[in-house]
Amino acid sequence: MSLQIPADTPVAFEFKSLSLKLLSFVPATLDAARLEAALRDKLGDGEHMLSGEQLAIDFDSLPTLPSAMEIAALMQLLRQFGLKPVAARGGNDDQQAAAREAGLVVLSDEATAVVPPAKQVEKPVPAMIVSRPVRTGQQVYARGGDLVVLALVSAGAEVIADGNIHVYAPLRGRALAGARGDVSARIFTTCLEAELVSIGGVYRTLDDALPTSLKSKPAQVLLDQEKLVIEALAG
Amino acid sequence: MAKIIVVTSGKGGVGKTTTSASFASGLALRGFKTAVIDFDVGLRNLDLIMGCERRVVYDFVNVIHGEASLKQALIKDKHCDNLFILPASQTRDKDALSREGVEKVIKDLIHDGFDYIVCDSPAGIETGALMAAYFADEAIVVTNPEVSSVRDSDRIIGILDAKSRKAEEGGTVKTHLLITRYSPKRVDTGEMLSLDDVQHLLRIPLIGVVPESETVLQASNSGTPAIHLANSDVSEAYKDVVARFLGEEKPLRFIEAPKQPLWKRLFGG
Repeated sequence: MSLQIPADTPVAFEFKSLSLKLLSFVPATLDAARLEAALRDKLGDGEHMLSGEQLAIDFDSLPTLPSAMEIAALMQLLRQFGLKPVAARGGNDDQQAAAREAGLVVLSDEATAVVPPAKQVEKPVPAMIVSRPVRTGQQVYARGGDLVVLALVSAGAEVIADGNIHVYAPLRGRALAGARGDVSARIFTTCLEAELVSIGGVYRTLDDALPTSLKSKPAQVLLDQEKLVIEALAG
Repeated sequence: MAKIIVVTSGKGGVGKTTTSASFASGLALRGFKTAVIDFDVGLRNLDLIMGCERRVVYDFVNVIHGEASLKQALIKDKHCDNLFILPASQTRDKDALSREGVEKVIKDLIHDGFDYIVCDSPAGIETGALMAAYFADEAIVVTNPEVSSVRDSDRIIGILDAKSRKAEEGGTVKTHLLITRYSPKRVDTGEMLSLDDVQHLLRIPLIGVVPESETVLQASNSGTPAIHLANSDVSEAYKDVVARFLGEEKPLRFIEAPKQPLWKRLFGG
């Protein structure tokens, strides 16, 4: 017998794939007082950034596996802080049974993959691109990243970046790359006439005339073992 | 729509007021109703250069403070019927200028049908210069061919790019480079930056070159804008500047040292 669905009847239900992202709560102790103090320290007493967040309790980092009562106490504590424990993972059959008893969904190891903490990986800051001339007395600072200047940097102007500095025009002012100490930062320009260059705090004034092989030529500035090196760019 | 032009430089003594007087006169000679405002409050000079110092009763600051009407303060130029001078106050300082006050005066001038409003900026980068520059649509950056003047011009161009109303609205003030007190002979001997040097350093379009000349001093002393001194190279140079400003093509003159006596006699180098 074949299943006949009349055309005008909507499908009663469908199964769809859904992946759930849960924050896991990984206690390292069962000492309620310590946990409470730590939670208060982290989240404070009132509303916080995780208020109402659904959690999976992860038993894997505990030195001893918790009893049913300890699991219930833990859930109670989390609820006090406005968190919603909805699932559990880890432990042995006893913990899993206790968790089910307490109304938690037990997650199998296959179903859970701990996502590496993405927030701690520093996202690269996009380069700051300046297309207008940087004139005498003006200062441009690319915080946290590279600086690209497509126009003149006049004498008496200052271009600063935490990363590299690129100037695709005459660089006549001061250029300070790696302003927060990045010694691998470099300065590139198509026409080197700078007053001062600095990499990671190591600076040099270009007071004495540059050799003709460098002056007004494409060049890069880099730091080689605490020594500033200025070299012509081939091509 | 009226156009507001600031004549500025950063550095003092490079020829801003001389240029304001001649440029405004040149526009008026072309038939445009023109106003020239002296922003150098406390050190007024424009009225002297224009030869109307004895006719100053009310000034810019009086108008801003509502102590006189714009009509009362505007002085009609003695050479051109459609040129008017708004003199600066001699007894006040530059803090007497408020942005709202300046804006009102400029609006009133536009309302009165002026085609061009030339703002003669004081030297420096303080209130007076910032006020003169703030409302500008275009700027004439007066520069002498020497390093400190070039440096100061660069600074003022940066300010126009960053702090003018146009810049705040996301636009740009159109800047023109005017090189004054140019002496081709001294350029040849290496005592003076060349035209190319200055342009290379500032990288803005050149609107003209005014040669170094005794005529300017004579003009100032006699209270006649240099553009009126017929047959002088300075007068011709300023007429070229006005023509280029109005979109005409004019080849650069007075940029080469006289090579032969005949040439020299003809143009009075």
